[in-house]
Amino acid sequence: MTFTQECAIPVDRERLWDFLMEVPKVARCVPGVETIEAVDASAYKGSLRVQVGPIRLSLQGTMTVEEQDRASWRARMRAEANDRRVGGGIRARMSLTLAPGEGGTRLRIETDLAVLGRIGEFGQPVIKKKADALLEEFAQNLGSRLQQGG
Amino acid sequence: MNAFEYAAPRTLDEALSILGEHGDDARVIAGGTALVTMMRQRLVSPGYLVSLREIPGLDRIEAANGDVRIGALATHRAVETSPLVQERIPVLAETFRRVASVRIRNMATVGGALAHADPNQDPPVTLIALGARVALRGAGGKREVPVEDFFRDYYESALGPGEVVTGVMVPRLPASSGAAYVKFLPRTADDYATVAVAATVTLEPDGERCRAARIALGSVSVTPIRAQGAETLVVGQRLGVDLLPAAGEAVKRVVDPLSDHRGSAAYKREMAAVMVGRALTQAWDAARASARGTR
Repeated sequence: MTFTQECAIPVDRERLWDFLMEVPKVARCVPGVETIEAVDASAYKGSLRVQVGPIRLSLQGTMTVEEQDRASWRARMRAEANDRRVGGGIRARMSLTLAPGEGGTRLRIETDLAVLGRIGEFGQPVIKKKADALLEEFAQNLGSRLQQGG
Repeated sequence: MNAFEYAAPRTLDEALSILGEHGDDARVIAGGTALVTMMRQRLVSPGYLVSLREIPGLDRIEAANGDVRIGALATHRAVETSPLVQERIPVLAETFRRVASVRIRNMATVGGALAHADPNQDPPVTLIALGARVALRGAGGKREVPVEDFFRDYYESALGPGEVVTGVMVPRLPASSGAAYVKFLPRTADDYATVAVAATVTLEPDGERCRAARIALGSVSVTPIRAQGAETLVVGQRLGVDLLPAAGEAVKRVVDPLSDHRGSAAYKREMAAVMVGRALTQAWDAARASARGTR
């Protein structure tokens, strides 16, 4: 499944870019992220908790930054995570683009997401809605954190 | 499936105290048609199951203060075949008859289905159109929630921690009223609806103009929904050729279907409008017949 999301972050492009390239800091703005640690210069491992109705997922996995191109304000990353108990996981490729916007920067996220196993069977219909809710909260967290001085 | 402890208390108070003691790790089980499936798939792994099946009287279906009170442990089949429900609220008996297969209806309970909060179920749609209320009990006492406010999100309800559904209260329709439940079921007879609509219509003394209407839909959002915009449109009107498309358009604006193997979101949105037209027509016809009968 592919989808594109956009949000406005009330800081300039340079500041947002610098912040976004510091993965552990960004991760703390993602709702549900419990741990994040660097494996090497571009790879990280961590865990994320998500709740869909009565189902609580604990996703353990890795994230790799594949491209950071400041000249074109674009970054690409790949994430893989699994929930061992439920059986299933996610594979995601994400592309971030920063464009100047009214009162700050427009962050555009294109995602190609596969949700596998039992999680997919149950959650497929609401993945997009969950992703939208997650992004909205992420954008708020990011905005308030950057306005507090990062 | 994970190992779990099983308790079958004889009183509701005892059940509530066990739930309070084990918190998040405990789940209430009634018919088990939803929970056991999810446990088998390991989507949920409760350490403690509290069965309500040994609590006497929780499966009663009875008349109470003008309402029909259906106990949480009443099975779908019991509601479908209840003489009281068939006589007083035939649309509800018909709705329960449309649920899955008779094997599931013999096990699945009214309270369990509400607590499961699956947006594709049949009964909540008709219960919303009828203005029914869910009765809940927790450590803090009893409360009632209109069914239309009970569902909060995909498989999420207003049930608080340690709270249990004890029943549902269904008011009787006023005189000169009719009701209908239509389920669009293009695949198999025991499937979930692609789109489901329930409507109730109450007519003015002239037996033609609409005095009050309620319209509810299932399988078109992350929860069952009530279409108040469409209701407002039909109140005060006669059933005419322009009215149904207008009501359908109003419904399209409030539905937010999920694309799945039963159809795309766009298809379900169109079908929601069609099904609302059919449900209103059937409810209106029934209301006219009722008005003729009472004059």
